[in-house]
Amino acid sequence: MSERSRFDEFKAGMRPRLKEWRFMLKRMRESRLALAGIIIVLIFVGIAVFAPLLAPPHGDPFSVPQDMEILVIQTSPTPPSTRHIFGTTDQQYDLYYACIWGSITAFRTGLTVVAFSLIVGLTIGTLAAMYGGLLDEALMRFTDIIIAFPGLILAMALVIALPGIFAINLSLVFLLVLVVASFLLLIFHFDKKILLIVQLLLLLSLLSILFFPVQMNLSLTRLDKVLLSIALVGWPGYTRVIRGEVMRVKNEDFVEAARASGSSDFRIIVKHIWPNTIYPILIVATLDIGSIVLTAAAMSFIGLGADPNFADWGQIIQRARNWISNVDLIVANLHAFLIPGIFITFFVMGWNLLGDALRDVLDPMLRRR
Amino acid sequence: MTSLAAYILRRLILLIFVILGVTVLVFAITMLFSPDVRAIMYVRNADQLKPEAIPLIIQKYGLNDPFYVQYGRWLTQVLQGNLGWSVSAPGPVLSVIASRWPYTFEIVLFAAPLIVFIGIYLGVQSAIHRNGLIDHTCRVLSIVGWSLPSFWLGLLLLAVFAGELKWFSPGALSQNWINFMHAGVLTGTYHRYTGIDIFDGLLNGQAGLSVDALSHVVLPVIVIVTIDIALLIRVMRSSMLETLTKPYITTAKAKGLSKSVVIYKHARRNALIPVATLSGLMVAGLLGGLVITETVFAFGGLGNWAAQAALQTDIPGVLGYTILSAFLFVIANLIVDVLYAYIDPRIRLE
Amino acid sequence: MAQESILEIKDLEVKFYTYAGVVEALDGVNLSIRRGEILGLVGETGSGKSVTSLSVMMLVPPPGKIENGGIYFRSKGKTQNIMSLNDASLRDIRGKDISMIFQEPRAYLNPVYSVKDQISEVMLVHRKQEFLQKAIEALQKKGRGKSFEASVYRRVLKTENSVATGSASRFSRNRLLAWMTRIGQRIGTNFMSKFTRKKTLKSEITKEVVRVLKDVEISDPDRVAIMYPHELSGGMAQRVIIAMALACNPTMLIADEPTTNLDVTVQAQILNLIKLLKKDYNSSILYITHDLGVVAQTCDRVAVMYAGNVVETAEVVETYKSPLHPYTRALLESIPSPGKEFKSIPGIVPGLINPPTGCRFHERCNYAKEICLTSKPVFREVKKDHFVACYLYGGSN
Repeated sequence: MSERSRFDEFKAGMRPRLKEWRFMLKRMRESRLALAGIIIVLIFVGIAVFAPLLAPPHGDPFSVPQDMEILVIQTSPTPPSTRHIFGTTDQQYDLYYACIWGSITAFRTGLTVVAFSLIVGLTIGTLAAMYGGLLDEALMRFTDIIIAFPGLILAMALVIALPGIFAINLSLVFLLVLVVASFLLLIFHFDKKILLIVQLLLLLSLLSILFFPVQMNLSLTRLDKVLLSIALVGWPGYTRVIRGEVMRVKNEDFVEAARASGSSDFRIIVKHIWPNTIYPILIVATLDIGSIVLTAAAMSFIGLGADPNFADWGQIIQRARNWISNVDLIVANLHAFLIPGIFITFFVMGWNLLGDALRDVLDPMLRRR
Repeated sequence: MTSLAAYILRRLILLIFVILGVTVLVFAITMLFSPDVRAIMYVRNADQLKPEAIPLIIQKYGLNDPFYVQYGRWLTQVLQGNLGWSVSAPGPVLSVIASRWPYTFEIVLFAAPLIVFIGIYLGVQSAIHRNGLIDHTCRVLSIVGWSLPSFWLGLLLLAVFAGELKWFSPGALSQNWINFMHAGVLTGTYHRYTGIDIFDGLLNGQAGLSVDALSHVVLPVIVIVTIDIALLIRVMRSSMLETLTKPYITTAKAKGLSKSVVIYKHARRNALIPVATLSGLMVAGLLGGLVITETVFAFGGLGNWAAQAALQTDIPGVLGYTILSAFLFVIANLIVDVLYAYIDPRIRLE
Repeated sequence: MAQESILEIKDLEVKFYTYAGVVEALDGVNLSIRRGEILGLVGETGSGKSVTSLSVMMLVPPPGKIENGGIYFRSKGKTQNIMSLNDASLRDIRGKDISMIFQEPRAYLNPVYSVKDQISEVMLVHRKQEFLQKAIEALQKKGRGKSFEASVYRRVLKTENSVATGSASRFSRNRLLAWMTRIGQRIGTNFMSKFTRKKTLKSEITKEVVRVLKDVEISDPDRVAIMYPHELSGGMAQRVIIAMALACNPTMLIADEPTTNLDVTVQAQILNLIKLLKKDYNSSILYITHDLGVVAQTCDRVAVMYAGNVVETAEVVETYKSPLHPYTRALLESIPSPGKEFKSIPGIVPGLINPPTGCRFHERCNYAKEICLTSKPVFREVKKDHFVACYLYGGSN
């Protein structure tokens, strides 16, 4: 057995990234809980995708229909019947419709907020970790302050404080974007010519703000406000985690080696640092989707959430508050909150199982490294 | 000065800065509202407000002044104890807090230790009997528990235990005991020494009142414990598993120590370290979760008030609760950090 | 069992049942250690040295299992097969009759307890009666020997002892003390000390700890005793570990590469210390290393291991002068020295999941015969007090 062939053999067996993925999938298939999680999430995806078929909308799809015929007789909830599969809740909103279309709302809630937090967190966290200094310090103090608030409470405060209509100064936005862009360009050592053009545009927009401001009105639905609040409260958490991970990785030898071979910062971040930090963040994000949906539902329950007839699980349970003080009514109208609650629980559980399974699978992998 | 004392001092100084930052943030949120809306806060009875009066109020209270001027004014007010008037209570924010905190405290008093001790115990047991019955049961229960919306669990428990079985009822105290207490305070036969019904009842010789208060705390505590314990068990378990592979555990075994000593004395203390950092998060979860739980059980504590305030856009109310929570959270974190430094001597050098 | 042997390992087989397959870590190891000697155990990484030492203490971690063989330990005139002992007897032996020290000292010390805590712990477990007696004597000296107060103090001392070893956390009859134990061992003992305001078990033990620390040549033992592991340097930490191992006067000390991670100068100091202590404490030492120089310097006899077998055992001088096994020869030849051509052993150490058949060295051996491929040579005495497992010296029938 010559030395040469052993090396070839070794190299052939390598293909590390593919092997790791296959190994990960295999481990996940073996875990029953992971499978359960995947199945649950897929079921909800199915419900969301086929919502128009499962519960055909009339008009605005996210407006839960009220049974007008029964409404004239009574406003209190009716139990499940052939007319309404899950029954109706206060003011005769159809529970079945709300639950089906609520799935879409749930996905929308979870995914948009997580996406926002991830993008902001990745950008700011990476920049702060890589370039340290005053920016890093200031960022840490700022996130410290935001994290000092229990999430739900700060989100509540923001929801009532955020105006429904934003008058956005477009020039200002443009200005901000350009500032950030020039900052990034400086860091990533891009072409000087491009930098010059950007700085010229900066000057122009500065002038325009002073003399010809361009306004725009942006209106937010109540649900949007909730999502925005949760996102604003959540991004510091992601930023800190990502910053921590990047700081851990950036001192590793392979980053040093990449720098020595002349890679630009941008390349180092994208090709070396992010792939090595992404796994813990992925786990946090998956688990967070459930948490976000729960928070949004909680806010809806308090009454701060979506509009009264919006198809949202938390919102439909909020209707229950009308008779909550009377215990007998709670029993009588059990279906009105039991069924949407089951939807929420399973949705969150699916994502939790998934995140948990991911964590179990990736943890030994991380350690094998 | 011992290393522990020096560490505590350093953390205290940091704490002051964070609290200052918290006040700035809270005030900034206030400033998100336009001067017109803020003017309404200065009036007790908003319905009687005439539109013409608003500019006068803005003028009088300087609601158009620069940010830092208004902040300074606001801060001095806060430091003197004036947190504004909460229309949803109604009453001055500070006295609302003073009158409502005992009820919240009743819940936290039982919930927090239960979460911590049961969580640690189950986490350790899951780790040492890995993949055994306890481990799997805890894992499933944790995942289910953490997925439950707290208000839904509360409603469910109410339906079953209060509705069907009639063992408990919502609220903090049964109506007849409330009447009794009011009558007693008026006639001077009942003294609210601590404000906390569970203790006051005993102190006044009215054990029945205490028992009743206790029974009302049961369901909310169950809700909070079920949901918050999940994370603690998972983290304790994984931390314990990791600690048990450490070299010094081998040393402990090689010294001839019994299994329980190795696990409970050597492993567990080290395993608690990451759990300690988690407790800060848990306090946050507790403070947030209270808002929902108290609303569902109509408990009459701080959380209930915060929910009401939010619904009625009672700005001083919501922000009063926000500042309070941030303050409590920061202090809780400080306590946790100190505990952490006590458990792990290496931290004291940071 | 030979008269002077205190430990004899016969045909020890250890297997590890892993996801990747069954690792046959030890394939019939034969070893014996004599009273008052330092036996060096040399071999490359993966040869099974650590597994052998862990097996003696029955500390092989799962998924490892001892499959076969016998480990005979002679102490205080009694000979026992360690493998047949129950848990309680094993714990009795560990730390008291056989002690072990490891490679990375700071990792093997519990970071949240001070040096004193950890050393006193092992003393309390094994020398309980001795200290209780000393404390009682101290009390009796005050003239209150048989009075009610003395018996109260005796009871207090007993509880204090169980608090210090942590066994109180589950079985203490004194509930309050048990509760305090859960909060912190040291709070408990401190509280009790203040409570009694008398000379207690604690101070007796502290004196003993300081004495042991002095024995390992730590110059400022009082100060070091209250330090934490992360405050110690590597050499200091290793001395603490040695102190902990010798605290109960063990018959045998197993040292698993104790100086590998230390600076060369510190290494020399520790080696000298070990030799000194062997004399003072009259212990035998199983010294595991991959450094042939250390063996030459420190050990009386040496056993050479390869891929899960002991292939040769003899006195150090004898082995270095006339190595019999081909592997030993190759090892000695590969020691670099100025002017000599650099020689290495061709091939690599075989994987132990599918180990080579017959003699495990046959693939790299220059003298391999047909029989070496098919059957394993027996480990036997070929010259006076010189054991080898190799078909070069007969035994093929």
